[in-house]
Amino acid sequence: MSETAGAPRLAFRLRRDGLFPRILVAIGLSMLCAAVLVALAGHNPLTAFRAMLAGALGSPYQIGTVLNRTCPYLLAGAGLALCFRAGVINMGSDGQIAMGGIGTAATVLAWPGPPTVITAIAALIAAILCGGLWAAVATAIHLGRRVHEVLVTLLLNFVALLFVQLVLSGPLGQPGAGFLQSPAMPRAVWLWRVPHFYFHIGILIGVFASLALSFLLWKTPWGFAIRVTGRSRAAAAYAGFSTAAVTWGVMLTAGGLAGLGGGVEILGLHHRLIEGFSTGFGFKAVTVALLGALEPAAVIPAALFVGLLETGALAMQRQIGVPSALVVVIEGITMLFILTATVRRA
Amino acid sequence: MAALLEMRGIVRCYGKLRANDGIDLDVHAGEIVGLLGENGSGKSTLMKVLFGMVPPDGGGIVFRGKELAGHRPGDAMAAGIAMIHQHFMLVEAMTVVENVMLGWKESGWWLGRHAMAARIRETSERFGLALDPFARVADLPLGRRQRIEILKAVLREAELLILDEPTSNLAPSEVTELLAILRRLRQDGKGIVFITHKLPEVMAVCDTVTVLRAGKVSGRAPVAGASRAGLAGMMVGRDVTAPQILGEIAPGPIRLDIQGLSGPGLGPIDLTLRGGEILGIAGVDGNGQLELAETLAGLRRATAGRISLDGQEITRATVNARMQAGLAYMPADRSSTALVRSMTIADNLMLRDSRRAPYRRHGLLAGRAGLTKAKALMQRFDIRAPSPATPASRLSGGNQQKIVIARELDRNPAVLIAHQPTWGLDPGATHFVLERMIALRDAGACVIYISSELEEVLSISDRVAVIAGGTIAGIMARAAIDMPQLGLWMSGRAA
Ligand SMILES: Nc1ncnc2c1ncn2[C@@H]1O[C@H](COP(=O)(O)OP(=O)(O)OP(=O)(O)O)[C@@H](O)[C@H]1O
Ligand SMILES: [Mg+2]
Repeated sequence: MSETAGAPRLAFRLRRDGLFPRILVAIGLSMLCAAVLVALAGHNPLTAFRAMLAGALGSPYQIGTVLNRTCPYLLAGAGLALCFRAGVINMGSDGQIAMGGIGTAATVLAWPGPPTVITAIAALIAAILCGGLWAAVATAIHLGRRVHEVLVTLLLNFVALLFVQLVLSGPLGQPGAGFLQSPAMPRAVWLWRVPHFYFHIGILIGVFASLALSFLLWKTPWGFAIRVTGRSRAAAAYAGFSTAAVTWGVMLTAGGLAGLGGGVEILGLHHRLIEGFSTGFGFKAVTVALLGALEPAAVIPAALFVGLLETGALAMQRQIGVPSALVVVIEGITMLFILTATVRRA
Repeated sequence: MAALLEMRGIVRCYGKLRANDGIDLDVHAGEIVGLLGENGSGKSTLMKVLFGMVPPDGGGIVFRGKELAGHRPGDAMAAGIAMIHQHFMLVEAMTVVENVMLGWKESGWWLGRHAMAARIRETSERFGLALDPFARVADLPLGRRQRIEILKAVLREAELLILDEPTSNLAPSEVTELLAILRRLRQDGKGIVFITHKLPEVMAVCDTVTVLRAGKVSGRAPVAGASRAGLAGMMVGRDVTAPQILGEIAPGPIRLDIQGLSGPGLGPIDLTLRGGEILGIAGVDGNGQLELAETLAGLRRATAGRISLDGQEITRATVNARMQAGLAYMPADRSSTALVRSMTIADNLMLRDSRRAPYRRHGLLAGRAGLTKAKALMQRFDIRAPSPATPASRLSGGNQQKIVIARELDRNPAVLIAHQPTWGLDPGATHFVLERMIALRDAGACVIYISSELEEVLSISDRVAVIAGGTIAGIMARAAIDMPQLGLWMSGRAA
């Protein structure tokens, strides 16, 4: 990867890195492996792939499903790309997404008066604040006590997930539901869905946020500080960039965006807070950030790809009945191949 | 006698640039060949081709009568070629023996540390390496670490040693010892390629020199009988060894005032600098030079004392505030502090100025203006590279250093702290940099010039201070230089 003051167009940057051919080879190889696995499981790979394709792209509704699934990965992943660029290994998206969900649910359920669009906007802002707050806790511990950021962010994930359980069995819970979940939210706060496709506008927020982060990274002095800090802490200090300030900046940005991802997921998809709604999202976000070569704008196609793969694989499981473990294996293999093809060589 | 190494017509291109353009090089057994040339003339590239780190685009290599082609570093080592890298490939937490055995088939399946230690002692004695097999690498000074690399080469029966600017980060006494080691290696029949920009070193050990210019051999001569001026002339086409004559000092107002400055490994230090003055700081490396420079630049915190610049106290000011106040700093550590090697020349030129015009406009990075500025600086400071968008890592060592110099001088600083600023520069570029420092001084700025290169310090300083054990052992004016006294100060509390 090379960087310039002029920051040439993204397409150019990607092309110069020779990514496209390598990605194609990686996809081809992973398809081959998946085919072998499906065949070993006693199914016809061709039927399986057809089911997968149809399940992901077969109808407007399916496409909408892909986009909805992509949304939290994209929001969290773009923020992570920024963190990783600064050399801050934030593994706390899971928790930050969960906190965003709590913020959203609490705002809607505690809203005085009849819920309106304003309620939804306030709920999303609350999601950003809660996600940011969770990142802030991690950052404060990391910088204040010099605990490694991976450790802090990872451990806080567990706390956040338990916190969701706590609020659901207490103030935000729906008594007698049998599950840990909140009461359903009024229609007035649901995110608007594009007719026919049924995807909610979260994806647009995600695309906008990623493009904004890309702009920030390449076109502003702050982005420059992030890139320098990620390459060499010593050079950043010499340049007069405060590592602490950069760390706070990227952590709060990533936390806020992950929180927003949680809020969007609640208001757009589930319409209630559910226990474990965000489980595993954080790691998908990491994958997506790496797939996108830490380029926020490139996280968009990366997240779409993962959303597509997941939706398709689930459809394949439903339609031809391959075991669900196989689906996870295929997902994993594909990501491994693509990561191997895309990570920067030292 | 057939040559140990024959390189014929070596060509290596980087894009359109012909970094090596048909170079011949012969090295005989028992011969030290000095490889000289301006920054970017292709010396390192030629050695990388020889060692198999980059494939040549043309030409052939014959080593010990066998053709060497399509080889990688592993093959080169097996054939008997060793390269002493500038960044040593050692595991610091391990001992000398362990480092020697690392990745070497002959150390066998079981680690016979003591048998190996005996061999190390024997070899170390033979070549005057003075290495204790059981010393931990982390505890050894740089000069000793370099000798471990030499030891490894000798033990592995290398017949040809390549040393690419091996003396640039050594203290003068370590340099003398290294040169003595090279002589013993020569006696033992090894061939050596020695790259350096320091003519006295060439005169001291080399048998012949080969001079490169723009990827071609521009001269070849035996050292016996050659004069320093003659060699310099061959290198840059003009004599650059003339001493720098300073004009009369016209002391201005006090610009930098340092009182009782202390920190870990530093001080207390009192220094007062007036405008129009260069204060040279000499001393054996590791005696507080880095601590002093970094404390002044704001990268280390002072535990006591005060620094004021033009009457304004900056003891606790941030790096940025100090820059704003007019303080420039050229760090000695080029690889990770002064430069971000993976970033472009343009990015590196704006490293410390991204928040100021012309790099910033309306709160955004002014990409176009930045590139224009970078092009102008590259021209003015003779930074040789295809374009400002070239990553700094692709530049030759000397050209990388010019980026740092260009950036810091371009700000027109009130006070400049220069730590080993001519490290890796060829004589021509060194001359240019020294001239610029003098121009800065004549314009009323003050310069703190820290270098272990005594000759350089003496040639451009109005006053010379010696740092030893973290404090200033003494200061003398240019007019009253007393070499024995300087020597005493330097060795006084030296580690
Ligand atoms: N990886 C690379 N990519 C592109 N150009 C390169 C690369 N490595 C070296 N060059 C170019 O090749 C030329 C020769 O470089 P080289 O490092 O051999 O010079 P050198 O003689 O060792 O100089 P110095 O005295 O400054 O170390 C330079 O112009 C340099 O910019
Ligand atoms: Mg070189």
